[in-house]
Amino acid sequence: MLGVPLVAYLSLGLFMFSVGVVGVVVRRNPIVIFMCIELMLNSVNLTFLTFARFHSSVNPQTGLAAPSMMAGQMMVIFVMAVAAAEVAVGLGIIMAIFRLRHTVDIDEMNLLKG
Amino acid sequence: MENGFGSIAWVLYLPIIGFLIQAFFGKKVVDSMGIAAGRRVMGTLAVLPIALGFVIGLMLVLKLSAMEPAARSVVVPLFNWIDVMGLRLPFELIVDPLSMTMVLIITGIGALIHLYATGYMAEEPDYPRFFTYLNLFIASMLILVLGNNLALLFIGWEGVGVCSYLLIGFWYKDLANSKAANKAFIVNRIGDWGLTLGLFLIVALLTTSPSLVKADRYLSYDQMLPALQIALAHNHGLATAIALLLFVGACGKSAQFPLYLWLPDAMAGPTPVSALIHAATMVTSGVVLLNRMHIVFEMSPTASAIVAVIGAFTALFAALVAFGQTDIKKVLAYSTVSQLGFMFVACGAGGYWAGMFHVTTHAFFKALLFLGSGAVIHAMAHNQDMRNYGNLSKYLKITCWSMVIGWLAISGVYMFSGFYSKEAIIGTALANTHANIEGYQLGQYSGWTALFVAFLTAMYMTRMMVLTFFSGEERWRLIPAKAHADDHGHGTDIAHGNHLEAVHEHGHDHGPDVHGFFYTDEELHAMEHGDHDDHAHHELDETHQPHEVPPSMWFPLVCLAALSLFGGYFMSHNEVFRDWLYPEGKLPILGVVSAEAEHIPLVLYSSIAAFGGLIIGGLWYMRGLPKAEGWDESKWNPFRKLAGRQFGFDAAMVTTTVDGGAELGRGLWQGFDVKIVDGIVNGSAGLASYLGKGISWFQTGYIRMYALMMLFGGAGILGWFLYAMKHGGVR
Amino acid sequence: MGIVSVVTFLPMIGALLLMLVPEKQVKFVRAGALFTAVITFAASLFLLRNFSSNTFHFQMAEVLPWIPKWGINYRVGVDGISLWLILLSTFLMVIAIAFSYYVDKRVKSYMVLLLLLETAMLGVFVSMDMILFYTFFEFSLIPMWLLISAWGGERRMYAGLKFFIYTFAGSIFMLIGMIFLGYQYSTITGHYSFNIVDIQAAVANGSFWASAISLQPWVFWSFAIAFMVKCPVFPFHTWLPDAHVEAPTAGSVILAGILLKMGTYGFLRFCLPLFPETLPAQVPIIMMLAVVGIIYGAVVAAVQPDLKKLIAYSSVAHMGFILLGIFSLTHIGLMGGAMQQLNHGISTGALFLLVGLIYERRHTRQFKDFGGLKAQMPIFAALFLLIMLSSVGLPGTNGFIGEFMAMMGAFEASYRGSFGLTMAIPVIAGFGVVLAAVYLLYMFQQVFYGPNTNPENKRLKDLKPWEIGLVCSLLVFVFWGGLYPSTFLKPMESSIQAARLMAINPAGQRPSWEDDTQAIDLDGTVGDKGSLIAGQKIIAPGNLHLTEKLEPVGGTTLHAQRETGAR
Repeated sequence: MLGVPLVAYLSLGLFMFSVGVVGVVVRRNPIVIFMCIELMLNSVNLTFLTFARFHSSVNPQTGLAAPSMMAGQMMVIFVMAVAAAEVAVGLGIIMAIFRLRHTVDIDEMNLLKG
Repeated sequence: MENGFGSIAWVLYLPIIGFLIQAFFGKKVVDSMGIAAGRRVMGTLAVLPIALGFVIGLMLVLKLSAMEPAARSVVVPLFNWIDVMGLRLPFELIVDPLSMTMVLIITGIGALIHLYATGYMAEEPDYPRFFTYLNLFIASMLILVLGNNLALLFIGWEGVGVCSYLLIGFWYKDLANSKAANKAFIVNRIGDWGLTLGLFLIVALLTTSPSLVKADRYLSYDQMLPALQIALAHNHGLATAIALLLFVGACGKSAQFPLYLWLPDAMAGPTPVSALIHAATMVTSGVVLLNRMHIVFEMSPTASAIVAVIGAFTALFAALVAFGQTDIKKVLAYSTVSQLGFMFVACGAGGYWAGMFHVTTHAFFKALLFLGSGAVIHAMAHNQDMRNYGNLSKYLKITCWSMVIGWLAISGVYMFSGFYSKEAIIGTALANTHANIEGYQLGQYSGWTALFVAFLTAMYMTRMMVLTFFSGEERWRLIPAKAHADDHGHGTDIAHGNHLEAVHEHGHDHGPDVHGFFYTDEELHAMEHGDHDDHAHHELDETHQPHEVPPSMWFPLVCLAALSLFGGYFMSHNEVFRDWLYPEGKLPILGVVSAEAEHIPLVLYSSIAAFGGLIIGGLWYMRGLPKAEGWDESKWNPFRKLAGRQFGFDAAMVTTTVDGGAELGRGLWQGFDVKIVDGIVNGSAGLASYLGKGISWFQTGYIRMYALMMLFGGAGILGWFLYAMKHGGVR
Repeated sequence: MGIVSVVTFLPMIGALLLMLVPEKQVKFVRAGALFTAVITFAASLFLLRNFSSNTFHFQMAEVLPWIPKWGINYRVGVDGISLWLILLSTFLMVIAIAFSYYVDKRVKSYMVLLLLLETAMLGVFVSMDMILFYTFFEFSLIPMWLLISAWGGERRMYAGLKFFIYTFAGSIFMLIGMIFLGYQYSTITGHYSFNIVDIQAAVANGSFWASAISLQPWVFWSFAIAFMVKCPVFPFHTWLPDAHVEAPTAGSVILAGILLKMGTYGFLRFCLPLFPETLPAQVPIIMMLAVVGIIYGAVVAAVQPDLKKLIAYSSVAHMGFILLGIFSLTHIGLMGGAMQQLNHGISTGALFLLVGLIYERRHTRQFKDFGGLKAQMPIFAALFLLIMLSSVGLPGTNGFIGEFMAMMGAFEASYRGSFGLTMAIPVIAGFGVVLAAVYLLYMFQQVFYGPNTNPENKRLKDLKPWEIGLVCSLLVFVFWGGLYPSTFLKPMESSIQAARLMAINPAGQRPSWEDDTQAIDLDGTVGDKGSLIAGQKIIAPGNLHLTEKLEPVGGTTLHAQRETGAR
């Protein structure tokens, strides 16, 4: 596993993140936007894991990473939980808006305009 | 400590019980027993507590007079009212000659007037309400005179003020009455302002004098008055200040210039009220206060002089105004103001007992005159204009002759009660030099003024009596058509028409009445209106035939006439009254104030004044109503016109204070509150929203814009981070 | 959970339970809310039973850790200053909720908000920790703001927002002041504490301000501004008429009855005991504003065309009397001010209730729509008259006791010339009493006297029995307070006296807050039941006057100098 260089992981993460950003900015369907956001979050997760793996030392006796070095992995779990919650709330809002306006086109919605 | 004087509490409790009965059960009893019987029961229940109180009071007076003169002061504690660190104001009653004199006047004359009122108000639909107020008034007045400290006096003081307010506005459907009531209460409050400040000044003085602070309940008279005497002994300025502040209070309640304004208007109340409150009892409480606190006044010749001068001026002013009045009750009102002025002349001159003496005799004859005028008004279909009377002696024999006694008494004819008290007042004022400012004997000038006013009194009272009872013609048969328009009864006519039709047309337009707030049409129809509106009285016109009043009304008249006739003689005989109020040694500073001015034949002078007034007045009016005082007021001579308007004083005061105050209020509200304060507040809010509007340009509402901005922001931060790292900014 | 917490959080629990009830069960919601309020009131009576008048310390205190690192804890208790305000809150809330029978729009939310408001108010009065106090102080804004904005009259949004922002802006300063106090405490002791008692103890022995004396006025005003807005004191009063006019009746009752008292309570709780050195310099300013408020409120009230507005402006005048009493710093004045807090709550609360009763019927509050109601609704008129007279300050009603004692205190302070006060203050304030009669009698005349000409008014029925009961329950306290005020005065006395001694005595002679056996003797002399600080006597003028100052001896010299120096 360590055969794959660090830069490859990071490149993949960067690629996924860029796709996500472009998707959020150009697409009009909120579902797709959600997927793009998810993509961005996952790219970040990937980066977290990569760094966690590459920077942690391994306990020679057990062959496992020291618990204090598990922060990256913990963060990923955390991000996933938040993402799930976000999707749940977001989809709920989209449903509500759809009921109200019978459209989910993002360009039709500017309720946040000041 | 009570020594068997505990029953004094019942004098106070009885009217309170009466008040509660009237308030809570009066209406029910009248409704359930039928109007006539119910009113008779409630009327009896109203008179009874007062009469019983009089009996108890009389027994206590006998008991008190059996005691040593110096020991005649008993304190009866009831309960602790205000009790905080350093100030204890117990609710306790004082039984001493001054308070008991007033108790007898209040309950005695009060009972008679209650009795009279059962007859006078017999047609009144709100019968129990009237007696509720009246009983409450008696209770408050008793607290005023019986309370053993100034704060209790103040309870009574304001209590009688409220009762007066309620009773003046008793016929509330006429807005003019309620305006008069408001005026009475508010003007009295100005007086109360002085009284409270005087009270505070006493508290502040006593509590900052180191030797006196530890005294418990130091506001109670038995502790306060001796303490004051010590504390003020070397501080005449303070004595003057306290005295004048208390006098402001007395001016308000006792209607002295310039706070007399409310009393003439107070005649809007029912006549028994005028007799009880605005002649016999409440208005004299200022004199009672001065008697109670006489130590302070005795220590300040300046304040005494001011009291005397104000008294004399008020007496003169009111007597002059009385000449311009056509309403019989207004004449009596101004005469009350004038007589109160006499009392203050006496108090100013140091003859406090003479003031109280006049309070007593005045209570007799002025109550008599008011009740008599009430009988006349009752007989004349509630018309109060003297120009419409004349020759009533033919119809109202008992009323007429008892009133004649009152008239002679107030005029100060020898042997009548008014003579003795007036002579005591004028004599005291002329004989003493207490009331002076830097040697100017203002007290004596006041005495001479009072003598002149005695002459005027006789004259305007003669005018009233002659125009009402004598002078040949029966003028209500001659009223010109125009004058009819000004007739005023209670002015309830407007309210009496219950315009049911109007209700039907408009109804209420607030949707369905889910909570049952309103009467339905059926309920309105079902309600009987007769009960409310049986007060209709016929107009005074040519066919009117006056009738003598019922016994419940003339009996009090006769009693009071007897008192007016003999009371003065018995009380001045051997100086009984003076020694009762102020036995030797009880006048600690001035000593015995002489009532006989040397070298002045006072009896002669006052007799000249009295008979002069009677004769001139009699000659003037015997031939009937003079043209110059007729129905057409534009033909009056300038003096009467001015007098009729109180020389413009009332109007000037009302314009400056009421209208000016309203202007000020509106100006402050619209100018300061709305423009300045809210201007600043809303202005700052406006500024914030203006700024917000500017910035909100970025706030397009499109999610992609926000995402893009986040992207730029993130990129910017990263860029700065890289830049900083490169240049060693971080770490 | 002690009794204090139970009382405080019962309404909130009730509110949470009510949230579970379906919106449509209107009757159940009403009954549930009323039940909660009554239970809370009953529980608060236990506070009264367990309360001891002999000590000025907090009683029935409870502590739970909250943010112990910063010395912030959940710390509640009751003392003489807060006792009656707690009972007033629970009592008025019963009245307010009972009256809310007439609310038929979004009943559930309305009741929930009222109950939450009750917890917030109670929290303010029971807090012994500054941050907790601040939390409740601000929390009380939200339900009230929603009540005004959702159930109010025509300009409700404006009024609600104005109310919220005005008070919020004011209390921000207070938060800064609180943080400073906590910080200052840490600099002298090494650890943070926001406990009022700790800080009072440090102030009492003089160590607290020793290193920051120049900051004292600033901190004082940071608190004072917050409370002046809340009271409100002229010229920060303009939110009050708007809020009152637009608020629903129950809101007005609570607003006038209790929310305003948070301001005066704050003065008693913070401004008096914590800033003794700067107080003499600030007293004249506050007294002057109080007097201006009394006259200003009265004059402006006299020209209002609207019942509620008139009463709102009269509140400005009445609150002026409370301040006048409190800042006279005499015992009688303070007692009067504290008493007047209760009286104003009862009388003005009752007045708003009565206005609400007529408003429910006629949907108007303009004087021009009324007139001659006395014949139509005699019981209503009689009740209104009695309540009005109590507001006028008639002797025999509660209004008199407070006003009289407060004025007496102010007069005494001026007479002694302490703090550079002049006699003009009580003399002018006295005119406020005259003016009170002017505007209130005018109001009564406009509504009840004269002919009943408006056909709409001719169909009006008199009050229903339960409405009469509601008003009479308030009326009982009007006369109780007026005829036997000792019931209310006694429990307050020790705590009020302690606050006063904190304010006027020099360091070292202030009440000891560490030693909770120390008591101030009610007999008048000096109380030393427990050990006193450094064995010195407290200058506890049992009589309301600083007698001792006349003969400065030994330890009292400093005090005397301050008194005379300020002249």
